[in-house]
Amino acid sequence: MEFLSPVWPAAAAVRPPKKRLQGIQGARIALVDDNLDTAFTTHLEALLTERAGAKVRRLVKPSGTAPSPRELIEEAAAGTDAAVVGIGL
Amino acid sequence: MNLVSERLNVDDYEEAIELFYKRHWTDGLPVVLPTPRRVEALIEHVGRDPQESLGAIPPRGGEATLEKPAINAVMGGCQPEHFPVVLAAMEALLDPAHNLNGVSQTTHMCVSLIIVNGPIARELGFNSRDGVFGNGYRANAAVGRAVRLALWNLGGAFPWDTDKSTLSHPGEYAFCIAEEEEDNPWPPLHVERGCPPGSDAVTVFACEGPHSVFCYGTPEEMLHVLVDSLQALGSNNIHVLGQTLVTLNPLNAEEFAKRGWSKQDVRMYLWEHARRPLAEVRACGVIHEQFRKMERDAGRYPLRYDLENPTTRLPVTASPEDIHIIVAGGRSYFAAVLPGWGGFGGFAVTRPIRRPR
Repeated sequence: MEFLSPVWPAAAAVRPPKKRLQGIQGARIALVDDNLDTAFTTHLEALLTERAGAKVRRLVKPSGTAPSPRELIEEAAAGTDAAVVGIGL
Repeated sequence: MNLVSERLNVDDYEEAIELFYKRHWTDGLPVVLPTPRRVEALIEHVGRDPQESLGAIPPRGGEATLEKPAINAVMGGCQPEHFPVVLAAMEALLDPAHNLNGVSQTTHMCVSLIIVNGPIARELGFNSRDGVFGNGYRANAAVGRAVRLALWNLGGAFPWDTDKSTLSHPGEYAFCIAEEEEDNPWPPLHVERGCPPGSDAVTVFACEGPHSVFCYGTPEEMLHVLVDSLQALGSNNIHVLGQTLVTLNPLNAEEFAKRGWSKQDVRMYLWEHARRPLAEVRACGVIHEQFRKMERDAGRYPLRYDLENPTTRLPVTASPEDIHIIVAGGRSYFAAVLPGWGGFGGFAVTRPIRRPR
């Protein structure tokens, strides 16, 4: 018997993954504050900068429960080696 | 008909059913096999282009060209006449106000409820009376499951992956009711929300499962218990507002109406009285405060509530209109409260049902 697939074929990867970080010391890291736990995000920022020696650029997402605006994603991706894109609760 | 989905051929019926499990194409229950003939019958019924897109279903973004919801609707048990209701529900879910992306992935246990209004509900046999949130009616079950399967297969929020719901609820399989419009003294939900009387419409609202409210007596007695049920500290609403749904049974509504209460009177009373002092709400913990701050920072928590004064009485919603009231169920002792996700989304969206020409 013949029937139809309810899904679309999985999309092929559009680009290869970037090279993995070798370490945090000196790395440029975008830290997206998703407003879910600001105190934790601030603590994480301090750990990354003061203990691990990263250069952190903190960005604030308007809502922790909706996708980031494209502008914020582009800003987080520009000139950084890695990004922390949210705190899960 | 131009259907572009992959075609599979399996000789053995049981093997075909098992294939849907192996490929994670089903929610855990068996499906009706979506043969081209069945799928074409749904699309022919609505008279629309199978490649017309309703949009991308979050979080994975599978495109909901009509062909795909039709396949999933067949799998859920729909007949062609159910398909216009499925499509209206999908259109409502994809309205940004509903924030389906968030609803599909939140740790909260909300699921998008589908409420059907208009003559089509009776014509298609939707249940709006005894046991309305339960089983036993094909229209409720098939439309509800069709939508859930479309979200499953196109949105791809799986409980072992990006659906982070801590507990979820059984509405993940099917969560669809009709409002009782005949045994109801008040205007139905879709008319309150701007649709013409006598028209057909679907409203979606992301909420918890129904919480039973032992609700019988005079209007004052019924309101007393409804207020207490609405202002529960365990619900998101008391912490971060949003919207909530009250389901009164026809006897409740009749009792209110006989004593001169309109639906708006009931709504206003509930909004004004379902409140708790900030001190009680704060006693729930720091994380609740953090969420309130997030909502205020996002402009969704009204500044008129002083969050520094422990005697401030916090409402469950920002405005009376955020308390949705419908009439459904049997004529008995019980109503239900279905709290929402809070101010984060899942808000009610209404869309007309487009009947075939």
